[in-house]
Amino acid sequence: MRSNKFGIRIAASTLALAVSYGAYAVTDEDIMNDHKTPGDIVSYGMGTQGQRFSTLEDLNTNNIQYLQPAWAFSFGSEKMRGQESQPMIKDGVMYVTASYSRVYAIDARTGEEIWQYDARLPDGIMPCCDVVNRGVALYDDKVIFGTLDAKLVALNKDTGKPMWIKKVADYQAGYAITAAPIVVKGKLITGVSGGEFGIVGKVEAYDPNTGDLLWTRPTVEGHMGYVYKDGKAIENGISGGKAGVTWPGDMWKNGGAATWLGGTYDPDTDSLFFGTGNPAPWNSHLRPGDNLFSSSRLAIDPDDGSIKWHFQTTPHDGWDYDGVNELISFDYQDNGKTVKAAATADRNGFFYVLNRENGDFIRGFPFVDKITWAKGLDPETGRPIFAEGGRPGDPTVTEGTKGEPVLAQPAFLGGKNWMPMAYSQDTGLFYVPSNEWSMDIWNEPVSYKKGAAFLGAGFTIKPANDDYIGVLRAMDPKTGKEVWRYENTAPLWGGVMTTAGNLVFTGTPEGYLKAFDAKTGEEVYKFNTGSGVVGTPVTWTMDGEQYVSVASGWGGAVPLWGGEVAKVVKDFNQGGMVWTFKLPKDRVASN
Amino acid sequence: MKTLSRILALLLLAQTVLAQGIDDGDPLLNRPAERTYDIILESGYLKVGVYENFPPYSYEVDGEPRGIDVELGRRIAEEMGVDFIVHWITPDENLGDDLRNNVWKGHYLAKRRLADVMLRVPYDKTYAYMQDSTGEYINEQVVLFGPYQQETWQVAYNPEKLDSVETVAVFQYHPIGVEIDTLPDFYLTSGLGGRMREQVQHYPNVREAFQAMREGEVSAVMGMRAEIDHELAKPGNADFKAASNGFPGIGKQVWDVGMAIKHTHRQLGYALEAIVDKLVKSGELNELFASEELRYSVPDYYREFLDQQAIARAEGEL
Repeated sequence: MRSNKFGIRIAASTLALAVSYGAYAVTDEDIMNDHKTPGDIVSYGMGTQGQRFSTLEDLNTNNIQYLQPAWAFSFGSEKMRGQESQPMIKDGVMYVTASYSRVYAIDARTGEEIWQYDARLPDGIMPCCDVVNRGVALYDDKVIFGTLDAKLVALNKDTGKPMWIKKVADYQAGYAITAAPIVVKGKLITGVSGGEFGIVGKVEAYDPNTGDLLWTRPTVEGHMGYVYKDGKAIENGISGGKAGVTWPGDMWKNGGAATWLGGTYDPDTDSLFFGTGNPAPWNSHLRPGDNLFSSSRLAIDPDDGSIKWHFQTTPHDGWDYDGVNELISFDYQDNGKTVKAAATADRNGFFYVLNRENGDFIRGFPFVDKITWAKGLDPETGRPIFAEGGRPGDPTVTEGTKGEPVLAQPAFLGGKNWMPMAYSQDTGLFYVPSNEWSMDIWNEPVSYKKGAAFLGAGFTIKPANDDYIGVLRAMDPKTGKEVWRYENTAPLWGGVMTTAGNLVFTGTPEGYLKAFDAKTGEEVYKFNTGSGVVGTPVTWTMDGEQYVSVASGWGGAVPLWGGEVAKVVKDFNQGGMVWTFKLPKDRVASN
Repeated sequence: MKTLSRILALLLLAQTVLAQGIDDGDPLLNRPAERTYDIILESGYLKVGVYENFPPYSYEVDGEPRGIDVELGRRIAEEMGVDFIVHWITPDENLGDDLRNNVWKGHYLAKRRLADVMLRVPYDKTYAYMQDSTGEYINEQVVLFGPYQQETWQVAYNPEKLDSVETVAVFQYHPIGVEIDTLPDFYLTSGLGGRMREQVQHYPNVREAFQAMREGEVSAVMGMRAEIDHELAKPGNADFKAASNGFPGIGKQVWDVGMAIKHTHRQLGYALEAIVDKLVKSGELNELFASEELRYSVPDYYREFLDQQAIARAEGEL
């Protein structure tokens, strides 16, 4: 249908209609083809599979020295802290979020502001984990994002005026949204962030045009999922079948497993892939069992929210190893057969390759230098083989004493945290932003909470090496081999992008946007943006020139924790800008 | 006309104060006011930090602050000859966070908002002088002082379901409600080798745990004594009883509760300490607790130097 003349004419007239209304609407097709259309970026992940691979090769290892700043834009006000956003680009306009739930539309050619939206946050809000935001979703004429008080806000893309605002969860109960929502098959999909106690993670789908809830899927065993039709909730099965299978007592009612980092979508298997956070409460001795579906990856049916399969990276977590890190779909050849795989680099230090059709474990291996909490993975199931003495102690059995501290590596901030890795279809390698650190955990002998005696754990994060914490690694998903590494003094906290120009981009807390040779790891470019880069770079083409853009502004979870890591990062200044670079046309031929 | 507009302005001010406290910080530098003792007297008000929605200590009824901590704050302000202004505290994950957000630094989303004094702060020398892994004093930014009450753990039970609670061992067989993420939660979930674990039911607060006891979901509730006494005093809970069991191995059976100020405001601290000392020793504080049908115990701090008669007076037994 689409290939005949008639179809083209219809498409053309629809386009003309859209133009006459002054709106190039983002369609489902645009989103599904995002990885093939370098003229725009209309999905978080530069493609719904989340590969963050650009087919552009104008900019490459031979001419990157000519990459130059085109413009820089300040987010303004005294609000700074971490800028973890990934910009989106559509029809010459950049849509980018900033800390404190702010959104900007910027002329992508000049850097001039078109509009700005500041979410009005309620008094007394206590977000658990800094005030970051990771980006927007684009759909039709709307720019949609999540706020620190756990709402979804849809703005008109031309005016920045709210079209609808929808409460996803109660911020007073400890919920927030910091991840970018995604649009799949006409549905707006979001997860939730949450504090340490009392919350239950969930994935939900909304109608992007109206904000109406379409389905909800709790991520803790025992909770009912629902599909909504004509305003009525229809039961759609209990997550995990029934309550109390992998949790003691009523603890499943408040099991945690927050879906705070959002998800990816694989059209081949028609699956949403969402990760889940650690179980609650923090003390694992109180909740014997696997505690499903905490610290897991879930494959979810986008039509009704049913769970197709799950893979738990850290059963019975006791180290705060959230399982939220992105699961990236990719295909590879094995003995002439195409394997439909998906990969993730977990907080717990292991890299997992799964069969994305059924969640089966294919292989797993450490991507950090040292793991102390597990001796390895079961080669059949991928389940960790716990190391003896590797689990933090039970504060309730060591009355009034500090007890022996337990050393755990990686630290709770993870071998890799939220910052997305990238997969190159050219090299077949994953580029993983990782950190080498450990933590000491002990039982806090004196602790109080809300006027009452309490029992807590104390911990401190320590760099594993004297001269570096961050390591950008090129990992071969077929062999588990580290092909190259780049060591960075401060912990890496920014996302990664790779291109067909044999380039890998990422940022550093020292302020640099850096580029590396994708095959060798040689550093081929750096530019200091003035504050730490913890955002995720993107690239696109406009007026025949290739652009690169990244948000700059030091913050996120690292500076919230003290200990010896603080010594490395305490002098970094905050910021709030988006920097845009381009390769001038006449330099393309230089290679 | 002038008078009228002045009255209107005053009314407006009063409303703002009730709704969201007072913003006396520096808007230009976005930092809290440095409110020393003299400045507080001059300004005519004292901002008293208490936890929100936390009966019987501090809570709101029809927009009015209520509770024993609120009443204590009022009496302190009265003694100082200034107005009482409530500073509501949203509890964070632990006491250290609350002190940072409300006493010495301010929360990063409300940098100008600090209390002059915070109440319901456990008074514990070990806590006050705790050091971090590098040897720094963790709480050096605040002074913890002026203990005014001793708090302890308490079980209430439904006599229709349980004849008595001799020891906590009965909770291997009978469901018990607790507030989530509290010491009673951890204690009952891990105690006796985890044998009570399946019986522990979690609720957002003690009030809702009592609601569950009225509905027959649980046979008992564990919480702080004042919280339990407060619930037992309600007509709907008249059938329930306070137990007299102990809590072996709970870590902290009793603890003193006092106040906190910023470490640079010691003069204010001395003034507050003198006021509270009088309220404790005279038995006034005991009367305050008794008027709310709560039991009162003087802090251990006083037991070290007061004679038995003086303690009996403070606890209303003379």
